[in-house]
Amino acid sequence: MIQRLLLLLFLIVFAVSETADAAVKTIVLDGSTTVGPVAKSFAIYFTKKYGVRVTVSESGSGNGAKSLINSSCTIATMSRAMKEAEIAAARKKGVNPVAHVIAFDGLAMVIHPANPVRSLSISQIRSIYQGTIRNWKEVGGANARIVVIQRESNSGTQESFKELVTGKRMRITGNSETQSSNGAVKNRVSTTLSSIGFLSLGFVDSSVKVIAVNGVVPNEKTVKNGAYKVTRPLYLYTNGQPSGLVKQFIDLPNTPEGKGMITELGLVSR
Amino acid sequence: MNIGTRKILDRSFTAVGIGSIVVMALALMIVVVPIVYNGIGAVFFTGTVEHRKMLHAEFKRGDSQNLDSEVASTDRYRAKVYDMLTGFEAELETMAPEKKTEYTAKYAQVQSALRALLGPLPGDPEPMLTRFKYGQTRWEKAEEKLHDLLYESKWDNSNSSVMSKEFFVSRAISFEGTSLARLFPYVKENLENMLHPEFTFYWGFITDSSVDSHFFGGIWPEIQGTFFLAIGAMLFAFPLGVVAAVYFTEYAKPGFLNSMLRSANSTLAGVPSIVFGMFGLAFFINTMKVSESKSVIAGALTLAIMILPTIIRAAEEAILAVPKTYREASLSLGSSKWNTIATVILPAALPGILTGGVISLGRAAGETAPIIFTAAVSVGSAIGLADVFSSPTPALSWNIYNLASEHEAAAQLRHVQYGMVLALVTIVLLLNLSAIVLRARISKKLKC
Repeated sequence: MIQRLLLLLFLIVFAVSETADAAVKTIVLDGSTTVGPVAKSFAIYFTKKYGVRVTVSESGSGNGAKSLINSSCTIATMSRAMKEAEIAAARKKGVNPVAHVIAFDGLAMVIHPANPVRSLSISQIRSIYQGTIRNWKEVGGANARIVVIQRESNSGTQESFKELVTGKRMRITGNSETQSSNGAVKNRVSTTLSSIGFLSLGFVDSSVKVIAVNGVVPNEKTVKNGAYKVTRPLYLYTNGQPSGLVKQFIDLPNTPEGKGMITELGLVSR
Repeated sequence: MNIGTRKILDRSFTAVGIGSIVVMALALMIVVVPIVYNGIGAVFFTGTVEHRKMLHAEFKRGDSQNLDSEVASTDRYRAKVYDMLTGFEAELETMAPEKKTEYTAKYAQVQSALRALLGPLPGDPEPMLTRFKYGQTRWEKAEEKLHDLLYESKWDNSNSSVMSKEFFVSRAISFEGTSLARLFPYVKENLENMLHPEFTFYWGFITDSSVDSHFFGGIWPEIQGTFFLAIGAMLFAFPLGVVAAVYFTEYAKPGFLNSMLRSANSTLAGVPSIVFGMFGLAFFINTMKVSESKSVIAGALTLAIMILPTIIRAAEEAILAVPKTYREASLSLGSSKWNTIATVILPAALPGILTGGVISLGRAAGETAPIIFTAAVSVGSAIGLADVFSSPTPALSWNIYNLASEHEAAAQLRHVQYGMVLALVTIVLLLNLSAIVLRARISKKLKC
């Protein structure tokens, strides 16, 4: 009985492995959840076009950097530049990280659509995340306590936000809530009336309201011409200059197909 | 205590017992019913012509002649919509400038709502992403999108001291007086003709790979990855666990070391699974380098370590439960110790050992934390058996989490997520069921 069962399982497994084509090389991507949608779309496109297996994990920019340092991924996707400490750690292990900018992303400040606030200045956002502004009424909104939502320390989006808005050294208020991905922030903001969060422009949809920062609403145009201030590049990191298939993958954002995918995903191509 | 009170106590205990069983059954119902109901919705649903177009283009499935005639008939109805759009675009050119800007913005919303409903409009550039190549493939989603087309959602923020309230404005009214006003009643009337909803049994949900990160297609790579990981974990953990249990029960001399080992084993059984995940990353991938990146083998080894204590405990219990007389009879016939273990004790203990094993198999299939850093990826094709040493794989448990929280269109893909949950629950249930059946069979065999 048990043999028969095991046999059956193995038959299923083998039947499948026959059909799966034996691609020799795998390109492994690991890192940012912001770059995730682009990386996934590129991976699917690349697999279809060249028959090379490409796998994508979204575990945060910090993890992407760690994976590259430990040589456990081919390409690290990151929504922030590698830190000096990370580069030093990589060099120590004989890894030479090379950055490739694939797209630009606006960091959208999002609130619940029911919130009447339309615009905040950078200093107001800083005060909200510092915890000195605690009620929407102080910035011209309803009388409701602000639910501050931030990202985890592993997140590149969090680092970019700190760098661009609050300043690297500032401590974000202890009353804030931490969510572990862009999707989770969106989900939380779209279900919490008085919340504020920040996410990649590529994740914005009608369930949340994007507010203008310093009077500028983020979109393709304002991100590209620099009118929207909270903007950052998205990176792919490789160990040394890429060659062969990996190079072809890295060059995808420069092709019309790659540019098309980036634009359709709501990000800004170079 | 007199008999009266005893009876009352007895009855009230029975009542509490039955009550708790009822509460448990209700809780189970509340959890399982939506999973089953929504999960089945991933396979059985009312599909539109867009679904059949997608199947034909992406999987070469379906009768192309039938499809062509169907597309032709739906296109006839759609053509009128597109005519109205061109008519309105011409009208837009003749409008006064400020009126034109006002209507252009509104018109863009109508266009994007139509795109979501029917797929790319004529004249649109061919979308790169498959998700934008088709309209709504499921009828219930199409009805939602129809609402988005007919009504514009607005927020009443006349009173800025409270939160706004949502209200809907009919687009037909806001386009009143223009040629586009006709479009809305027309689409509402003829949506069925434009999409041809039909009851669909999409078995490919189980056997297909996903298209454009789960927007279309099925979950086969995830199911396969789950099997690879769970069976791989069993291949390592089961033999090791049984050998360890035999050592503990038959060979180990009671003493300090032995009790230390036992308590270490019990502690290991209580360690949270994420700790095993981190251990797997640090030990198997970064230190041992069992594979260059995440891989099935690293994940399977991590899961194996996680389920090992449970298997050892179950096997130990099963071996200890074998009656002493068996062993004594065997030894009295001149059999050696090892021979007794291999031919008498292990076969008699087999039902118990197997039950422990299969239940652990179910646990290995359902765990997320140990495979996050060691084996699971959110996008990847189904892998062959030869690739388990080098390739990571998608797996049900991790992809459910990914779709629920990280995916850029999580809210649109709830049906896929429920389908995955149902698949995982079914796999674990089947594994546990097979444990029960196996146990019953083997103990029957042993009795005769």
